[in-house]
Amino acid sequence: MATNACTPHFTPASPRGLLRSLLLTLPMAIWSVLMGFHPGTSTDPKALLAAAVTAIFMTVLFFMMMRTGTTYRWRRYFFVTLGVLFPIGFIYNMVLARGTMGIPMEEMIAGRTPFCFLAIPLLIVPAALTRTIVFPGSITASGHAIGVMVGLWLAMTLVLGKGWCAYACFFGGIEEGMAAVPKRAKIRKLDPRWRYGPWAVLLAMVLLSLALFEPAYCTWLCPFKAVTEYVTARNAIGLMQNAIFIVLFAGLVIVLPLLTKKRTQCSFFCPFGAFQSIFNKISIFEIKIDRTRCHSCSVCQNACPNLSLSKESIARGEALMSCMKCGACVDACPRQAAVWHIKGTTINWKPERARLMFLYAAWAMAIMFGGSIIASGLFTIIHFL
Amino acid sequence: MALSILCGEALALGLASGPACIASCGPVLVPSLLTERAGIRSNARYLSVFLGARLLGYLLFAVVAWKVGALVSMPPTSRVFVMGAVNLLLAGMLLWYAWSAKHLCGQACATPKLVKIGAPGSSRTAGAATLGLLTGLSLCPPFVAAGVRAAELGSVALALLFFFCFFVGTTVWFLPFISMGCIARNEAVLTVARMAMALIALYYLLLGITMLIGKNVYGH
Repeated sequence: MATNACTPHFTPASPRGLLRSLLLTLPMAIWSVLMGFHPGTSTDPKALLAAAVTAIFMTVLFFMMMRTGTTYRWRRYFFVTLGVLFPIGFIYNMVLARGTMGIPMEEMIAGRTPFCFLAIPLLIVPAALTRTIVFPGSITASGHAIGVMVGLWLAMTLVLGKGWCAYACFFGGIEEGMAAVPKRAKIRKLDPRWRYGPWAVLLAMVLLSLALFEPAYCTWLCPFKAVTEYVTARNAIGLMQNAIFIVLFAGLVIVLPLLTKKRTQCSFFCPFGAFQSIFNKISIFEIKIDRTRCHSCSVCQNACPNLSLSKESIARGEALMSCMKCGACVDACPRQAAVWHIKGTTINWKPERARLMFLYAAWAMAIMFGGSIIASGLFTIIHFL
Repeated sequence: MALSILCGEALALGLASGPACIASCGPVLVPSLLTERAGIRSNARYLSVFLGARLLGYLLFAVVAWKVGALVSMPPTSRVFVMGAVNLLLAGMLLWYAWSAKHLCGQACATPKLVKIGAPGSSRTAGAATLGLLTGLSLCPPFVAAGVRAAELGSVALALLFFFCFFVGTTVWFLPFISMGCIARNEAVLTVARMAMALIALYYLLLGITMLIGKNVYGH
């Protein structure tokens, strides 16, 4: 149906010349090197090798984005790599530091867990009401580092909106990889009301965190506890908590993405994703649908990994609030009706320039946050090899 | 003079405990309030019923606290059993509420009269009252503090007065919730509220079961 609706003179993306692509990639290559080899970087040859491979990997992917004019495919290579390598590096460091992946509940309550951004939305209301930060990690131990990280996250979020979820989140890669495995989705019809799931989880977890004075999501519902650090099961409750983590991980991160070809954990569950959606209202970058070109073929809707396009939103010429600007719809649209757009400009105003402006910011963030994680995972693998 | 000091003490305790009371009642109140129809008046009505029932819960507790010698002498096992039972009832009530909101949506969402979602019928009022009563009976920390103080008083009338003033103090903190009536009600808000209620109900269910079978949530 989709291809029938196309006219041949619209090409999905226009390749760019080699020299121009190289010139456009140069700033990112420099940024990759700066991030990988900044002062204080370990002089261990294995660490240097990991940093070099990461810098080359990130630069090559950006070059391919520039050369081909497409975004989604190259971003996905990075994102899946990030998602797979994160647990490897994390678990290795965890076992080195603690000897186990398990953390006793009292240690968690005492805040002796590594920093995790997923808890950020949970602490806002308790902090506002009680002037106490309910956080499952130490803020005081390395306060300046976490302060810088939160500051950078906020700055990038204000610029990119929900772009964080497609270019920096180190949890989403596994399910994106799983969603890429099957050629066709087994489950195609998804009740659109499940899109409200993340908001419901956010609301419930903020309220419960306030009531229990603990990060309820981290102690009861986080699927990624299954591949990071779990609650040490010393009684029936601990076992139950771990069972919940494993079931949610298996269901939302492995099985459902395989069946639906969607990022189901992000689309239906992640409270941080809902929180990030709010910033899409502030961000200047957005995805628009040019109604003069669109033939309502639904290719973009089917391509969206996050269910952020509906018939109604396409009719309005825009993506939903949950759009994470991954570029899947833009790359998939056979008529180039889905475009990158800067708020305040007309819809036809240089979409490629809007894409470039967005990608420089997003890829800089990807290198900064994701690059170090990829390097850490690579280092672990090289170390064991 | 002594009476006014007592009232002042209870009021101050209520005012000081307000944030803790909001934290304790929030998981029940916020999603259920979101399933009511939009508008300050209808939300104020819901909140009145909820708080009225909560006051009833307080006063009932005051009588029991004073008569039985209160929480001070109540064995921890009995206290945990009461809490477990209240949590189970709360979970059941929340699940019922989330489910019944579906039917309300079924009647109203397909029509332009979306505003009729959660139109306060007798069952909705009873629901609000039950939720208010159950949260009133939950042994949250400020409530236990008030219960201990009430148990020390000379008569049941004084205990009732103490709890009434305590209630008035905490109620001030609930008034801003009326402004939730300004949030537009549509399918999104209703679905989010229902899903959140179901999740919170599951937590209370788990908590209630673990309390009844004698396991501590964070025991060793």
